[in-house]
Formats: sequence, C-alpha cells, structure tokens
Amino acid sequence: MNQGFSAPEAPDEIIRIEHMTYEYKREGDQAAYVAVNDVSLSIERGSFVAIIGRNGSGKSTLAKCINALLLPASGKVYVNGWDTTDEARLWQIRQTAGMVFQNPDNQLVSSIVEDDVAFGPENLGIDPPEIRRRVDRSLSAVNMFEERTKAPHLLSGGQKQRIAIAGVVAMKPECIIFDEPTAMLDPNGRAEVMKIIERLNREGITILLITHFMDEAVRADRVVIMDDGRIAMDGTPEMIFAHSDELRRLDMTVPFTVDLADRLRRNDIPVPQSTIHIQEMVDFLCQYKSEI
Amino acid sequence: MSIQIRDLTYVYSENLPYETVALDHINMEIRDHSFNGIIGHTGSGKSTLIQHLNGLLKPKSGQIIVDGIDITGSDVKLREIRKMIGLVFQYPEYQLFEETVQKDVAFGPLNLGLSQENVEARVREALTLVGLDFSELADRSPFELSGGQKRRVAIAGVIAMKPKVLVLDEPTAGLDPRSHRDILQLIRNVHEQEKNTIVLVSHNMGDIAALSDQVFVMEKGKLILSGTPREVFANTALLKGIGLGLPPAAELMEQVRQRCADAPRDVLTVEEAEQQIVRWFGKDKKC
Repeated sequence: MNQGFSAPEAPDEIIRIEHMTYEYKREGDQAAYVAVNDVSLSIERGSFVAIIGRNGSGKSTLAKCINALLLPASGKVYVNGWDTTDEARLWQIRQTAGMVFQNPDNQLVSSIVEDDVAFGPENLGIDPPEIRRRVDRSLSAVNMFEERTKAPHLLSGGQKQRIAIAGVVAMKPECIIFDEPTAMLDPNGRAEVMKIIERLNREGITILLITHFMDEAVRADRVVIMDDGRIAMDGTPEMIFAHSDELRRLDMTVPFTVDLADRLRRNDIPVPQSTIHIQEMVDFLCQYKSEI
Repeated sequence: MSIQIRDLTYVYSENLPYETVALDHINMEIRDHSFNGIIGHTGSGKSTLIQHLNGLLKPKSGQIIVDGIDITGSDVKLREIRKMIGLVFQYPEYQLFEETVQKDVAFGPLNLGLSQENVEARVREALTLVGLDFSELADRSPFELSGGQKRRVAIAGVIAMKPKVLVLDEPTAGLDPRSHRDILQLIRNVHEQEKNTIVLVSHNMGDIAALSDQVFVMEKGKLILSGTPREVFANTALLKGIGLGLPPAAELMEQVRQRCADAPRDVLTVEEAEQQIVRWFGKDKKC
C-alpha cells in the first residue's frame, strides 16, 4: 500500500498535504493528543476520493485542515497551491474547498431555502443578478429548485442536506469535502445525496467523501483508510477491498459484495477479485450459472 | 412485557395550516420478550410512535396497553410508565450532562427512588452490560470519551433503570463499523440477559433482517406491513416503492432472479446467500 508518498509531483493536484501533523490538547489534563500524524497526501483535480477509518482515526481533522478550519501543528497543506496558513488566501481557500457536514440542521441559517443558498455568495459580495443565477442553478443541481421558497425546517433530512450542498455549490467550489453527509439520513435520503455527489463529480468537482458506509466508499475512484492518525491504505476500491483481512484488522467492515465473494471463493466458486459492486456480482452469478 | 397498540392516532398542529396526521389508526401487537424492528423513512411516524410508548406524547385517540394497563389514561403515573419502558433517543450522547460517568448513569435510577447502594449496583451492572470498565471510567467526565463510548454511557443510563421494554431510536447512527457492530451486540446481550422486550428503530435493513423476530413498516403515519423479516422483505415492490429497499443480500438475489428465474429466493443475510448460491450451483455435493 502507498504510505506517505511525498516525492512524485502530480501535475494536476488540487490538494497537497506534506508531512502534516495536528495535535489536540485534551480537556482536563491538557495532555497532547496527536490526531493526524505526519500525513502526506495528494488529491488529483476532478477525482472522487473516499476517506474511511474508525472514529478518532483523524479523518475529520484532516478534512478540517484542508479548508483551513484547523491549521497544522507542523507540515504543510496546500489548496490550489495556496498554503492554508496564509491568512490573505483564507477566503480563496474556503471558496475553493467547500465543506458539508453530518447534521444538516447545523448548516442552515435562513428561514427560506433560497435565502439559505444565497448566504454564501452574498458574503462574497457578488452582484445580486449573479447571486440569483447561482442560487437557481445550485438548487437545480441538487433537485431542490421546486422547494426554493419553502422553509427548511419543513423538509426531510435528505432535502435539508441537499440544500446545505446547494449552499456550497453556489460558492462555485472546485472541491467539496463531505464529512459523513449521509450519517443522519434514511435510505432514500442517502441515495439522493450520493446521486448528487456523483453528479457533481462528473461535472468536474473534486470530491472528498468521509464515510463509514463501505457501499459509498466503493463508488469512489480512490479509497484512503486512516488509522491512528496515519494513512493505513490507499488505492482504488478494487485494490483496497481485495484485502479483506487487512480491512478487518483495521475494524472496517467489507462491503456486502466483497464479503459474499470471499465466502463463495471458499466454496470453489471462482468470483473474480475485482468484484466489489453488486451489479458485478449479479453479472458474474448469471454468467457462471449459464456455464455450469 | 407485551404491548398492544389499538387504533392509535396522533395529529400534529391540529387546526393549524400545517396540520399533519402523524399516526393514523395504528394497531400493533408487541409480544413479551420479542425483538421488534420498526422501519420507515423520515417522517413516516416511527419517532412519533415510540414517543407515545413512554407517555412523552398523548394520542388524539386510541390506546396503548402495557401489561394490561392503558398508559394513555389520565390517571396513570408517568414514573410508573417510564420504569417499565426505557427510551434511548437518537444521538443519546447529546443528553449526557453529569460531571462523571457514574453520576450520569445513576441519574435515572435515583429518580426511581432507589436506595444509594441499589443505585450503585445498578450503575456497575449497566456499565458492564454495555461493555465499559466501571473502575476505569466511573469517575471520568463523560465528555472526554470517544463517540462510541459516550453512546454506551447514554444507553447504560437507560438500562440501569431496568426497563422491561427497551426502545432504541437508531442507536447506531453515525458510528464507525466497529462501534456499530458492538452496539448491536450489546443490545443482543441486554435482550438475552434482562429477558426484556426490544423495539429497535433503524434505517439499516440488513440489521433489521438479522435481529428482529417481528418487523413493522411505517409509511405516512400508517402501519402498512408487519410480520417476520422473511414475510416483510418478500414484499420487494412495496418496500422499494416507498424508498426503503431491501437488505443487501435480498437485493442481490432479487436482481439475479430478474435474469435467472430459478435463482434462490427468501435470502436475507450473507450467510443465507452463500448457502443458497452454493446449492444453486450444485457445489454442495459431497464427493
């Protein structure tokens, strides 16, 4: 697995993290607690990267360091080449790398959907006609245009989360960091939000998705596993999920399809190693049945 | 302890513009010592229903009969209901408030009017049941703990009241895979050890299928389906129609069956999928 690769200069990287360490002071005894430990990571522009790992492994701290909500104790974080400690670039950095959090109720500020989406662009001092255009386009992008004049508190969790996403999209970010965006949603809400995330990625926005759901992680084109403040594994979903023993050691579950594939292989059914999506398993089973 | 829910109806904002029938003539039978799963998407009425179970909400009409007593009656003491039925809310760790873990877990039992020694014994027992080390954590602040630990402390606070019915609203939401497994295991343990009745609200169809004796499906304030997991998850079209989906194993076999009609049916878990597929391929023959 690719650990701490800092040397090769990726030509088109939007985020570059170099030997970053972040420490928290524990409440009470003020003992230092290293949340992120000498991590180096490069994120390619336009990619879809899932970050998984147990609670307390440093995922969220890492994410907050990317849009300068937190600053590293040592090492460097660059967004579009800007150093996140450069205060003069702070707003450009946050505009480039927007963030969506777990609880939609903590991210909505207005009593009307479209006002909420306009909040970010207004703070950037953008002309009203342009704000209007951005708000309409952002709401359409998350399939919430019809609900634009409603009150957010009357909407479902999934709808509220999509408005929070629209609020970030209206800032025209190049990258969006999602910190467990579906944790509080029902199956419908989760599916809606994942569809929007994939669509935004297709439209060219770089996606960082922190999640505990392996079925979401398999949809990324790269999976990074954090463990105890470090990067434990890094690769394509096919590579990562082929190592089910290693995943279990890291307290991760394997996606259902991978679990079943392992079990079938033990019964002499030759499921290809690359089978991680449910559709691939369906294809294999039907194909294999027709051959025996 | 059994619960009969009869014709339960509840209306939010009655006579106001946003009047909503949150529960619409619900009839349910929760059997003694059973493990019950409630599914339904956000706004379907699940949380409204469970808030009725311990008297947090009073119905517009209908009855909830717990062990022969109608708890919706005006002469019923709330303390008596809450002794019988413990409710663990969503994200219960947000409700931790005491200086130490021990004090937090003791809060409920103390309010039941138990003696100091009795309370202490219950706190020990409850913390052990949720897999936490009493001697290590008792005097720590609950706010210093990890997310998974905080949630266990919060659940211990309800278990310490020894409810005969334990109701949990999405107890694994937001947890990592390990804590998710651990919390489900501890619910199983509590169920076995305390011989209580469990009502589990969850969005995870796989968990519901694996754990429940009985599954109830809510949609738009109505109870639209109930039965064993096998009976309920056989209603593929209905469940998909309301956006709930199936456990992953059932979903997979459903898709396979659309292309190969002779593929196994009635598959709910990964273990069953393995067995059935092996048999389907004729790989189970002993040589």
